[in-house]
Amino acid sequence: MSRTLRYREALNEALREELRRDETVLLMGEDIGVYNGAFKVTEGLLAEFGDQRVRDTPISENTVVGMGVGAAMTGLRPIVEIMTINFSLLALDQIVNQAASIRYMFGGQVQVPLVIRTPQGGGGQLGPTHSHTWESLFLHVPGLHVAVPSTPADAKGLLKTAIRSDDPVVFIEHERLYGQRGEVPDEGEEHLVPFGQAAIRRAGDDVTLIGTSRMALTAWRAADQLAAEHGIQAEVVDPRTLRPLDLDTIVASVRKTNRCVVVEEGWPNGGVGATLAALIQEHAFEWLDAPVVRVTGADVPMPYAKSLERAAVPREADVVRAALSTLRDV
Amino acid sequence: MFAAVMADHPLPDAGVATEWLQAMHLIRRFEERASELYAQGRIGGFLHVSTGEEATIIGSVRALRETDYLVSTYRAHGHTLARGSEPGRVMAELLGRVDGLCRGRAGSTHLFDGARRFMGGYGIVGAHLPLAAGFALAADRLGTQDVTLCQFGDGASNQATFGEALNLAALWSLPVVFMVTNNRFAAADAQDKESSTKDLVKRAKGFGVKALRCDGMDVVQTHDVTAEALAVAREERRPMLVEARTYRFRGHSAADPDEERTAEQLEEWRRRDPLVTFGDRLVKAGILDDERRGWLDRDAIARIDEAVAFAEASPEPDPQTLADDLYAGSGR
Amino acid sequence: MPRLSDAMEEGTILRWLKRTGDEVRRGEPLVEIETDKATELVEAHADGVVEVLAGAGTVAPVGAALARIIGVADERVLASPMARRLAREEGIDLSSVPGSGPGGRIVAADVTGPPAPAPEPETEPEPVPVAVAPELPAVGGTAKGDTTAVELTRPQQTIARRVAEAKATMPEVTLAVEIDLEPVLALLDQLGARALDPRPELDDLLVKACGVALAEVPRANASFRDNRFELHGRVNVGLVVPTKDSVIIPTLFDADRTPVPEIARRRAELLARVQTGAIAAPELSGATFTLTNLGSYGVTRATAVLTPPHAAALAVGAVVARAVPAEGVVAVRRVMEATLTCDHRILYGAEAARFAARIRELLEAPAALLL
Repeated sequence: MSRTLRYREALNEALREELRRDETVLLMGEDIGVYNGAFKVTEGLLAEFGDQRVRDTPISENTVVGMGVGAAMTGLRPIVEIMTINFSLLALDQIVNQAASIRYMFGGQVQVPLVIRTPQGGGGQLGPTHSHTWESLFLHVPGLHVAVPSTPADAKGLLKTAIRSDDPVVFIEHERLYGQRGEVPDEGEEHLVPFGQAAIRRAGDDVTLIGTSRMALTAWRAADQLAAEHGIQAEVVDPRTLRPLDLDTIVASVRKTNRCVVVEEGWPNGGVGATLAALIQEHAFEWLDAPVVRVTGADVPMPYAKSLERAAVPREADVVRAALSTLRDV
Repeated sequence: MFAAVMADHPLPDAGVATEWLQAMHLIRRFEERASELYAQGRIGGFLHVSTGEEATIIGSVRALRETDYLVSTYRAHGHTLARGSEPGRVMAELLGRVDGLCRGRAGSTHLFDGARRFMGGYGIVGAHLPLAAGFALAADRLGTQDVTLCQFGDGASNQATFGEALNLAALWSLPVVFMVTNNRFAAADAQDKESSTKDLVKRAKGFGVKALRCDGMDVVQTHDVTAEALAVAREERRPMLVEARTYRFRGHSAADPDEERTAEQLEEWRRRDPLVTFGDRLVKAGILDDERRGWLDRDAIARIDEAVAFAEASPEPDPQTLADDLYAGSGR
Repeated sequence: MPRLSDAMEEGTILRWLKRTGDEVRRGEPLVEIETDKATELVEAHADGVVEVLAGAGTVAPVGAALARIIGVADERVLASPMARRLAREEGIDLSSVPGSGPGGRIVAADVTGPPAPAPEPETEPEPVPVAVAPELPAVGGTAKGDTTAVELTRPQQTIARRVAEAKATMPEVTLAVEIDLEPVLALLDQLGARALDPRPELDDLLVKACGVALAEVPRANASFRDNRFELHGRVNVGLVVPTKDSVIIPTLFDADRTPVPEIARRRAELLARVQTGAIAAPELSGATFTLTNLGSYGVTRATAVLTPPHAAALAVGAVVARAVPAEGVVAVRRVMEATLTCDHRILYGAEAARFAARIRELLEAPAALLL
């Protein structure tokens, strides 16, 4: 059985369930307690679990993440919220040089069961320092896991898996998805979504559309438009986690459709699309009827003006056009 | 100036005191040997030695309980040895061999011995201060009485993590002792060129952290002051800062020049060699004679010889193991 | 992929002696191919720049494109990786495929789909008042009725390819002989009385006769290839056997020195295996000559198609009773017409005639065949 929840509510449930289940789970972040979270994801948790387990922190991203690493090394399961992914840049040393590296560089003597939760994405006219889509940055780092849920059910299931994982997870939510509604299995049903398992949102034979985070939904809507207006049946694949990546599902889909479009909100150079395109042509070259096409955020710092911002973020029409270009001259 | 202070800190009993001197000799001889191997090109990358800081290290580490956490910088050979790591395994790590503490993954910069609660070994200046606060947080949450001792140099006190970690430790009442080894010089720059507030005790106070000071060249004083700070952290559940004033006998790392120091300064501090001053004190107290003292040193040399032999006999890691231990789970 | 042996269906690329981008001259060694028989060094067929399409280790069917030699005048064909692979596998020349993808790119569907409709090459015959009924104008549907397109099976594709190749490349000579079959038929009666199992039949004696004759005329037991005569050391007669949808040619090895009863036994075995589909590749290869018997269909004369690269093939028709002059009187004797088809590049008229005559000779005095 399931019910309709918003993405943020599904995350809240996941946190609540795991806090109840495991005494060593601990939350740290700016405004997560008294204020109930900048995006209300941690609403009510301070009230239920107290200020020892739900800790408001000063604005010290690097040290708070570092404390999360240290606490994870010595017996806790900390979940650090970085208010938005833009501020994760301040904590990159702790994320890359400590969280991702410690298990490996210390020869496997210790593990770092840390979750860093942070939303990404633009679209609210927040300007260049507050609109980043950084999934590709963390995808780049060995030693991390990277989750990019696009639906409430996946948000809950992947977060629970992340918290129980013994490895550091960068759990990337999306500001524009927090209000999205979706079906989520009932409480009491242990709903875990494994890492490394993509979801096929829609089956089709003509072209594969791969979208991450919010772009998974954009791709989905583009597929509907392709079917309704062009009679083209697109297969929509949502990777759900970028590390580990379910390459098998992606390759199987491209071998079936012979065409692929990757949609991401981030910048093109070294982006998710670049990585996937490389992998796809490595594993499915002889099945390609067209080059892999990427639809990405514009290669500029995110501008403020509405018209400019709109032009800088991929939309359904861009994905539709990209899909058509693999099939015929557009 | 320091003599008066010495009188306030009596020697521990003979056996303990002798062990301290022995441990200091072990560090000294290890660091000398490591420097030789580095000059020969058999140790690669960075080599940061603790020559001259033996008193700070032994004094402070001997104040720790077995279950307390110790975390330090990239200059940590002395710390691992002090905590009881086998010299052979430390040397093997420096040589990048399979039997090294970290199986050759870490080298000199990132030593780690989890079983002895030596928590690393970090290459980025100041990066481990947050980790230390994290260890203290976990100890607190798990209800243990363990305290974390976090050592770093004065250069790190200008990294953002210094302020952030002290602030958070004070805010959250974390049982952690931040110990600054003030060697007066960070890399090639004198401290005077780095810090607007040169007094570290004052700086700590600005973040709400009480501080103590000790002579880092005096192993007994360092021990006592550290013990006091640890006790405050353990019982009163709050952070402390200890400034240990020391002098490094060589450049910042084995590859750096000694240019900034004047010849007189160098000579003065050589008179302050902690092995000499402490050894003299033990002899004066009748605990040691010169012969036994000589034996201690030769014993240290012999143990280091063994360590090098062990390390050299250990194989280099197989490239097939390159991806081992990247994840604890089955992730990719 | 060149056909390196007559029954070769596919080969393995062992190693390339040139890489993509290398220049090559006609006749230079290009690639080493392995078949189940042998390893051969194949030469470039033209001057130009090599483009390798299939790597070492690839197993490809005969006719598949392994590489292109791009001459100066060549233009690179715009085709997707999928289309190239399919073209390679099906042995289709991409330059003949129209592209429907973006920019005129050839895509998979262009290679595998139904070919673009070609204009009707035939012109409708002028209506002739008397003999030929005029074509009715099409009223919904065509005059020929609804067309059912049937895709070729692999064997059918192979047959189509081979016979087209034979007709296109081999200059044929055909000649016929009429054979008095009474002696053979009498001999078969005698053999029948001996309760041999299986009982020898006409075809067995035909095989033997061909075998002996082939052994005596080396250029008939040969192939013309690469501008050379290849005279084969063994005499292996391929029996052309029609099956439901195809034609199968099992081989009777060493027909010249195998006793007739043994030929009979082997032939029966091979036919049985053809029927059950259990016939194996080695049994379908190695023939140096083919024999077709269409007599059971009542056909009196047939012209065999050469199986490249054989020099010759024999087709025999039905046994018919005919009135023939014999020693000055008209007698009724049973005869059979045998038609020999030869590749004139290796087996010229006179020698072909001699060969055909020898077969007749052997069949008209068949006791020798039993030796």
